[in-house]
Amino acid sequence: MRIVIAEDNVLLREGLVLLLNSEGHEVVAVVGDGPEVLPALLEHRPDAAVLDVRLPPGFRDEGLRAAIQARKALPGLPVLVLSQYVEETYAAELLAGGAEGVGYLLKDRVSRVDEFLDALGRVAGGGTALDPEVVSQLMTSRRDPLQELTPREREVLGLMAQGLDNTTIATTLVITERSVSKHIGAVFAKLGLPPTDSGHRRVLAVLAYLNS
Amino acid sequence: MSHDTRLKKVLRRSANATGDLVSGLRTALPAMLGLAPLVAVLVLLFATLPWLPQAVKPLRRLANAERQRAGRILGREIPEPYRPSHASELQQGIMMVRTPTFWRDAAWMVVHGFTGLVAAVLAVGVWAGIPFTLSLPLWWWAAPEGSQAAFITLDSWPKALTMPFVQGAFYVFILVWLVPRLARWQARFAELMLRPASRTSLAERVEQLTETRAEALEAHGAELRRIERDLHDGTQAQLVAVALRLGLADRRFDTDPEAARTLFLDARDGIEEALTQLRTVIRGIYPPILSDRGLAGAVRALAAGQPIPIETEVDEGRVPAAVEAAAYFVVAEALTNVARHSGAARASVTVRRDRDRLLITVRDDGKGGADDGRGSGLAGIRRRVAAFDGATRLDSPDGEGTTLEVELPCGS
Repeated sequence: MRIVIAEDNVLLREGLVLLLNSEGHEVVAVVGDGPEVLPALLEHRPDAAVLDVRLPPGFRDEGLRAAIQARKALPGLPVLVLSQYVEETYAAELLAGGAEGVGYLLKDRVSRVDEFLDALGRVAGGGTALDPEVVSQLMTSRRDPLQELTPREREVLGLMAQGLDNTTIATTLVITERSVSKHIGAVFAKLGLPPTDSGHRRVLAVLAYLNS
Repeated sequence: MSHDTRLKKVLRRSANATGDLVSGLRTALPAMLGLAPLVAVLVLLFATLPWLPQAVKPLRRLANAERQRAGRILGREIPEPYRPSHASELQQGIMMVRTPTFWRDAAWMVVHGFTGLVAAVLAVGVWAGIPFTLSLPLWWWAAPEGSQAAFITLDSWPKALTMPFVQGAFYVFILVWLVPRLARWQARFAELMLRPASRTSLAERVEQLTETRAEALEAHGAELRRIERDLHDGTQAQLVAVALRLGLADRRFDTDPEAARTLFLDARDGIEEALTQLRTVIRGIYPPILSDRGLAGAVRALAAGQPIPIETEVDEGRVPAAVEAAAYFVVAEALTNVARHSGAARASVTVRRDRDRLLITVRDDGKGGADDGRGSGLAGIRRRVAAFDGATRLDSPDGEGTTLEVELPCGS
């Protein structure tokens, strides 16, 4: 994959380059300043971009804004946004332009390299990767309708919203894929969502529901 | 001989002195008798001080009514000199007797009590007196002799046909010249006594600022201690444990790579935990979304995260960071209360900038009946707001929703 990185912390930037190179990816551009992000994305049109939310010179939400603008210019451009803290509002803004190829994770998650690379791969492939913290914030604000779900069904819903597939959900919860499918069916029925085949459309339906 | 006279002299001196001292009893005895009442008065005064703030409430209401009335007459507002205080009742009582406002109010009450009555009776009496006086020539002769007078007793027609008109003219003069002036003098006197004179209001302001500054320092100190404790007992301890695990992993690396690997993974877990704690601490110091989006964006984000619909109306434009943070915590705490206790279906948040004050209103349509005492976040809100020399008002009648109003000075 051809990847653009925007991160102002030198150590983390070099760590990311090292990690991605060792996985056989090509880092085509590394930028450390807010205003440089958008031109770099538009110029390189990477297979995925890893962007820090807060960048110099303003140290506000430059990375997030660049990601949203870039996806307006290049619809579906896969972006994985990293941040020291997650805000439901930011997730909603990112997802407003479509959930395909969107990732939003806490920076901490890079320490679990396999999961991080998995999330990046999912985003590059047009999937979604949402941080469990964002998902739990989303689920708190839709508290009432979710009361009808069993605790297990809520767990499954949360993992679905993170963008995970049935196999991963089954492994995470240590249950069979068959029972994952059963739970998902129950969740969709209880929330009144139209049943969809497993896969990306399902994640979209869940996120649209939580985000509404 | 000389010995004898000297003795006499000494004795006389002692006798005289004894007489002096005995005569001193004339004042000493009453003084001693007076001691008990004096002590009683002082004790009584001190013991009643805590009730003084309650006791002066009717006086203040009365003075406020007069401020409005006199203000209407003069065509200019007479501002209230009272300031909200968060001190204990006793401290408020002490402050009250030490600052002039209370004494000025009381002096106004005494003077106005007399003069106000006299002036009103005079004005009404003069109106009634004019027709009465002017009609005297018609019927004075029918009244018992010597019972009617206009300056002098009316006992003959010449007097009866002149003096009532002189007195009538005098009454008209009073009505036209004196009565309007009396009304203005009364209003001016009220203004003089009841307005916050610049000198006194400054003294009270200093008193109050000293108090709020002490509260602010206390709150700030508590905040620093809390942050220190969180970092020291939480994050720092966690990182030490991580460092220890990494050291152990290093020692085992050659001999027992599998054990070293477990330690590495433990260390990673520890770091993740430390990061989570650090995030919580940072949120408590200054929520990052405030630097990203300002107060308006941060309040909208808070509202979006609530389980019920929240209408928001927030003035854009920035205020000092400390005030922004306080406003954010007030709104966050208030919305948490709404979600937890009110049972409301909807709520609204407005944040308005009014010159040098930030006005926050959080309103819901829930069951009301909120009060500070029941361990809700309201006490916390009051403390935080007081530390900024602000004011908190809570209106929460049973069954009619809750409105929280907070005023934060953002001196600019």
